[in-house]
Amino acid sequence: MRDPDVLVVGAGPAGISAAAELAAAGLSVLWIDQRDRPGGAIHRQPSAASTAIAFGPASVRNQWRRLHARFQGTGVSLTGETGFAGIDSDGVAILEQRHSGTTTCVRAKAIILAVGAVERVLPRPGWHLPGVCTAGGMQVMLKETGSPPRGRVLVAGNGPLTLALATQLAAAGNPPVAVLEASDPFRRPSHALALMRSPRLVGEALHYSTRVAFARIPWKRGRRVVAIESHGGALRVRSVAKNGYVETFDVEHIALHDGIRPNTFGLPEGEARPFIIRAGDCREALGAVAAEVDGKQAARRVIARLRGEPAPKPHPMLNAERRAQDTLASLFRPHGDAVPADLPDDTILCRCEGRTVGDLRTLLAAHPGISPREVKLNGRFAMGLCQGRFCADNVAALLEHGGETGPVSADALTGTRWPIRPIAIASLIRDADDPNSSTPQ
Amino acid sequence: MREARFRWNGADIPFREGETLAAAILRAGPSDAGLGYFCGIGACQSCVVWCDGRRVEACVTPARTGASVSGSED
Repeated sequence: MRDPDVLVVGAGPAGISAAAELAAAGLSVLWIDQRDRPGGAIHRQPSAASTAIAFGPASVRNQWRRLHARFQGTGVSLTGETGFAGIDSDGVAILEQRHSGTTTCVRAKAIILAVGAVERVLPRPGWHLPGVCTAGGMQVMLKETGSPPRGRVLVAGNGPLTLALATQLAAAGNPPVAVLEASDPFRRPSHALALMRSPRLVGEALHYSTRVAFARIPWKRGRRVVAIESHGGALRVRSVAKNGYVETFDVEHIALHDGIRPNTFGLPEGEARPFIIRAGDCREALGAVAAEVDGKQAARRVIARLRGEPAPKPHPMLNAERRAQDTLASLFRPHGDAVPADLPDDTILCRCEGRTVGDLRTLLAAHPGISPREVKLNGRFAMGLCQGRFCADNVAALLEHGGETGPVSADALTGTRWPIRPIAIASLIRDADDPNSSTPQ
Repeated sequence: MREARFRWNGADIPFREGETLAAAILRAGPSDAGLGYFCGIGACQSCVVWCDGRRVEACVTPARTGASVSGSED
């Protein structure tokens, strides 16, 4: 593979807009994504033969039309089914060709990482059971296949994405039995008024809330899911309201969601060679509209850098989006600790290796003052295949509850190193550009 | 149109052009179908399966005709 001027990782709004901007400036771009088509999670396109459903408010659909026209117009083409495994100590990017199970190394002058966000999901007893998935996971499946999961669905957690999913499930013909929301936005009229400063957010709020109401989906606020159990081939979900009222739901599926965070796990960063910058939700989770602008900004920084010109100023629009996201976060802020300190001992914390809250408590009792790094190395938390993406924040929050260490960040547990995603050793030793190593053993 | 198929834990699974392994398995089977589908974006590793001798995330891997896919190495 020829070394490009710039490697762009990711084909969501930030990656598309960065790749197109670089190509339009005449730079050679290697643009990769783990999937075979551009779009990212937000603009996941239906597979060829499935029924397309026009999801989402006009602002989202218009963005896709704009991005699609943009990359088609510049002629930049996506190298799909290619994973980014990281950058070694010599500044060489390691890419995995997922289709052939081979790797290749490229040396780029600059790298733009636009790998998006991951969902936050709080640990709850039973959240590892079959039939439990993330709201985003259910949403991308719905976008790809055009059909909803069969059977009764419950959506639970925190934040506006749960309402978006409920709306889309209803449009696909299987509205959820309820949406359980940990916060109570109706009790925060001052924050709701602040929302009015963003016409786009008001439009999206109206789009989703009217559809949820029209489909008669109960939106139960101030509710937490405290247990999920297997029950007669289905799931029995127990929820508790702020006043202690307990309600159970029998469903085939539950979608959980407690916000999103940048997917920064293990990501390299640096201003030396190669010049590495992050763009979009993996830099700061501000949503798709901001990501499009941020991708373009990242590309302009790279272009200026390669030409030895002064760096462009940050785009003012990002500040407005940051304020809008802060307002949403205040509106949807749940009461109490995000990760409850009183979780039962048998609650799974690390989904990859089945490590429990009790395992963490035992470790902390035996080794008071243990560092986050030791919690990983000795306790195997954030050690599994997902590399901490679904437990590091939760483990960090519980370490803070322990009260001995002060603030704990997920990074202190996970560290930074490559590969940033699991990659087979067989793939790692098979170089796609070397004819002698490209046949499977 | 001839329907494409792959093998999943010994069963024949039809799929549509461009569909992922996870999409086809979930559509064909019962609610869990033995697949730990969770995040849908290749991040959580819950849906990692063996596909023609390699471990891949079912949610980001396109289905291909004749592939042999299973939940365990055998």
